[in-house]
Amino acid sequence: MTPGGTARVAELERLLSDLWEAGGPLPYTAVLAADERAELCAEGRRLLHRAGFTAEFVPAALGGRLARLDELVAAARTVCRRDPTLALGHGLGSFLAAATVWTSGTADQRRRVAALVLAGGTVATVCPDLAHGDDPYRGTVTAHPDGTGNLRVSGRADAVPDGGRADALVLLADVGRPADADGAGLAHLLVDTATLPPGGVTRPARPATAGLRGLALGGVRFRDCPVPGSALLGTPGGGADAAARAAQVTRACLAGTLPGALDTGLRTVLRFATRRRLYGQGMDALPAVRAALADAFADLLILDAVGTVTARALHVLPEQAGAPASAALYTVGRRLTAAMDRLSRVLGAHSYLRDGEYGIFQKVRRDAALAVSGYAAPTTCLRTVLRYLPGLADRTPAGTPPPVAGQVYRDGAAVPELSFDRLTTRAGRVDALAGALHHGRRAAAGADPELHRLATAFCAELAGLGRQGARLRPPDLGPHARPEALALAARYATVLAASACLNVWAHRPRDGFLGDPAWAVAALHRLAGAAGLPAGAAPGPAAAYRPALYRELTDRFAGRRTFDLADRPPAG
Amino acid sequence: MTARSSTRDVPVYPGLRRLAAGIAAATTGDGAVFSPAACVALDDAETFPADICRRLDALGVPAFYVPDRLGGAWRGHDELIHLIRMLARRDLTVAIGHAKTFLGAVSVWLAGDPAQQRRLARRVLAGAPVAWGLTEPDHGSDLLATATRADPAPTGFRLTGCKFPVNSATRADLVCLLARTGADRDPRGLSLLLIDKGRLPDGTVRCLPRARTVGIRGADISGLELLGAPAGPETLVGPAGSGLETVLRALQLTRVAVTGLSLGAADHALRLTRDVVLRHRWRGRPLAEVPHVRRALGEQCARAFAAEAVGVFAGRLTHTTPDELPVVSALAKAFVPMAVDELIAGCADLLGPGPLPTGRVPAGAFAKLERDHRIVGIFDGSTVVNRAAVAHHFPVLAHGWRSAAGSHAAVRRAADLRAGLGPIGALPLTSRTGCSAVQSLPAAVAELDGPARDLGTALVAAADRLHHDLARAPSTVRGVSAEAFDLVERYEWCFAAAAAVHLWLANHTARREGPESAGGWWDDARWLRAVLTLTLSRLGCPVPAATATVFDELSTVLAGHGPPTLLADADADADADADTAGGER
Repeated sequence: MTPGGTARVAELERLLSDLWEAGGPLPYTAVLAADERAELCAEGRRLLHRAGFTAEFVPAALGGRLARLDELVAAARTVCRRDPTLALGHGLGSFLAAATVWTSGTADQRRRVAALVLAGGTVATVCPDLAHGDDPYRGTVTAHPDGTGNLRVSGRADAVPDGGRADALVLLADVGRPADADGAGLAHLLVDTATLPPGGVTRPARPATAGLRGLALGGVRFRDCPVPGSALLGTPGGGADAAARAAQVTRACLAGTLPGALDTGLRTVLRFATRRRLYGQGMDALPAVRAALADAFADLLILDAVGTVTARALHVLPEQAGAPASAALYTVGRRLTAAMDRLSRVLGAHSYLRDGEYGIFQKVRRDAALAVSGYAAPTTCLRTVLRYLPGLADRTPAGTPPPVAGQVYRDGAAVPELSFDRLTTRAGRVDALAGALHHGRRAAAGADPELHRLATAFCAELAGLGRQGARLRPPDLGPHARPEALALAARYATVLAASACLNVWAHRPRDGFLGDPAWAVAALHRLAGAAGLPAGAAPGPAAAYRPALYRELTDRFAGRRTFDLADRPPAG
Repeated sequence: MTARSSTRDVPVYPGLRRLAAGIAAATTGDGAVFSPAACVALDDAETFPADICRRLDALGVPAFYVPDRLGGAWRGHDELIHLIRMLARRDLTVAIGHAKTFLGAVSVWLAGDPAQQRRLARRVLAGAPVAWGLTEPDHGSDLLATATRADPAPTGFRLTGCKFPVNSATRADLVCLLARTGADRDPRGLSLLLIDKGRLPDGTVRCLPRARTVGIRGADISGLELLGAPAGPETLVGPAGSGLETVLRALQLTRVAVTGLSLGAADHALRLTRDVVLRHRWRGRPLAEVPHVRRALGEQCARAFAAEAVGVFAGRLTHTTPDELPVVSALAKAFVPMAVDELIAGCADLLGPGPLPTGRVPAGAFAKLERDHRIVGIFDGSTVVNRAAVAHHFPVLAHGWRSAAGSHAAVRRAADLRAGLGPIGALPLTSRTGCSAVQSLPAAVAELDGPARDLGTALVAAADRLHHDLARAPSTVRGVSAEAFDLVERYEWCFAAAAAVHLWLANHTARREGPESAGGWWDDARWLRAVLTLTLSRLGCPVPAATATVFDELSTVLAGHGPPTLLADADADADADADTAGGER
């Protein structure tokens, strides 16, 4: 984060204020009411629009404020903390569509979309996992030249926010011969919806989803609809590769944004526990309640380390971002859902009520669950990760680990400009993010024996994954991968998460709470437990480090500070 | 259809056949009152399924909420579970909205005087809904904090206070209320009163607006405000001051009964999921044959078997070891909803978040089921409350394991699905013999053979380690530690595996299919191996990688046979399968 980025997020905090503030600009009652009506929250939208929020998603070179993805993520997470639907419906949603334009569009297309988004317009794309699982070749539309310079578009795209009523659509289409298994005939289209002839497009109704109700994820059907030839985005046949490169950006950004929902879930439960009396004492005095809250805090720190490190890695290590971006979204999706489930037990019956001051919990929980299953389906992410595992051992040699890119772990360090051209789906020669585990282990050696023990266990896990990855055979790298192979990809994601936490700790020696090994031990212990490593089995470390986490959590709660790594103060 | 040479055609619950047929008739056909589409529409409109409940009354369902000695049909607690399951596999809102009458009435069956019992039996048999008013705003599960008062009055009692949220508070004719008749936080200071709302003078009771819930949106989750309502001495259920004790006994029965809600939800979820994976293709293969889908689907079947084993077994242990019900009921209520929540989440992963593209199931049916089922782990004692109850038994559980104590014969009788069960005996508030089902696990495993024996032996070793940890867990007066809750979860899995082993041993000879069909649940101890494999992985025990292929086998059986069950085919609903998966059978 640059000072400018920090100031912008602070301004956003001031603008949106506290969900529970009586008479505040965006009270929880407004967010819940919009959800009941299955609409985007109008109050939130107005506030963001007035602030020109969408500029956060337009590259600075095109007139926007996007210079660093960690800043984009911090801004989007700030909105997500109030309302995940609003975050995806205003700003980030357009970015998910526009990312393909930023990565593959012509100069003219980039300018047009930048102008559109800066003016507060919206660009929409298919919510991928909702529409077709991880099969991009299903449900695509076809587009064929009609000889007059136009393309004729037919077919149906499912799960487009706002029923495809956006100002522009980015859709993957079959532009050549029928798409084969390699997707060789695919390309993206950038469709300006204002210019479509009446009757060319219909919007079939779609039943409401369980979460993200305000996004109105309806479908769009084209019936031999003419669009100008200039709508072609990228090269014919390059659609699958373009989609995969853009997905590195969008998955990293989703992984960084969605933890905002956990902040609100945790804050709601803390609010409940500190106000409720049970068995003659405050509920927050119960040891199991404290443990659940401290564990959720540790989870949030893990998710933020993963999301933020991955966002910065896209600047610093763009050639290596393919596996980490998908691994990050897998980790965030899985752990976010599980953390909300555990928190719901503390909230008890209040986790089931749609109104009242704790009613926001069920709303962010539903939104997060749908965002995960719609944008981050676990097997989709794992299949992408799997493709990088066969060469893992060569990319992470224990004897000579690749140099550490310290900027990805430090807050405020300068990072290279984002270079969309350098993103690639090819596996690079090194894996600096996983290899950094070895450096983290050395840092832990002199600092904390428990942390060193856990770091050592993860180094061994990485080596084991390298060996098992080398034995993977081609069928496991395709759509019919065995469950055992997918499990390897999940373990790799956990190793990356451990490396992110360990190195954030190691690179912040002077940062009070983050420089203390307590949170890193708690984080690695939780990750080791999830990975089934023996180092994670004994309950001792969790019990020993929870009090420190709980203290920090309640201090932040009292000061209305954020629960993520940034520990941001409230507005004003 | 495969040839049947076993007892699969003989129902375990013949007493429910006629009802099952009546429910099936109400479910199918155009304009059917209990059709899947009607249930989804009622949910959308947040409307109570009153017509459906009236039909259930007409079919005689309420008789199963009344003991047979009082003219009802409640004889076997596992039969009641199965009845609730039959309703829940259609719609949880209906099951929760109807079966709450059993919850409302059961305190009277346990502690009411004979005349009161007869009066209530008549009302329930005539279809009167009964609610159970325990919960109050702001103290949830903490019953000792009950603030509703029943103060002495010239004609009995005068009731003041607020009960919320209460299932069916508004619709119920009768409410069984917990109220304070003594000092604050005095366990002997609470009493139960059965009040007839319709007989209260105007202005002395007010129904509170319905809570807006995440799921079961049509249910009447509302409350009562008591504004000096008069109650005669005959409303007292048991002696004054016995209210808490009666509630704690009643909860043991209701906690076992409501596992039927989860079992029905599991049936429903697997039926919908099976339908999708059998019909759809993905990248050139039927979805059901994609390796990770096949594995995950089999794992969900294993969860279904674990949940069913616990629910059915706990229902039968209620009769044979009632003195251990304080532990057994808490284990069942904590485990079954959790396992089924996991099952539903696993199915949701396979289905994706979109509506089911089958055309035969109303869009939103799965999402509704997912929302609805979350309540089961919350009400009637949440998972946290039940786990705390088990944690308080750690010393006796550890001792019972070491000494292999308990009534093995009673466990065996509960496990034999064809064995008759006697009446339910006295229910204590704590178990002094631990949990015989788990304590007899080593002896039972010794009777297994083949691969199941190896898995069982590994399980006994894991259970031994667990009991070592239980014995060392610090006993705390106030507040169970987070580590203790984790130990309870592990104990629940041991209980599930023990239930599976006992049920397998007692029934496999009768249930094994003929040599012409080696592809069923019971062949090769398939379902048992799957439950044991799942349990071992949950206990953190390494299992050989090849063991996990048992889940793939279950997936294959699911495709050929329909949703998993330990019961006979004749206990499954023909209609429930026919309307989604008839083509494959």
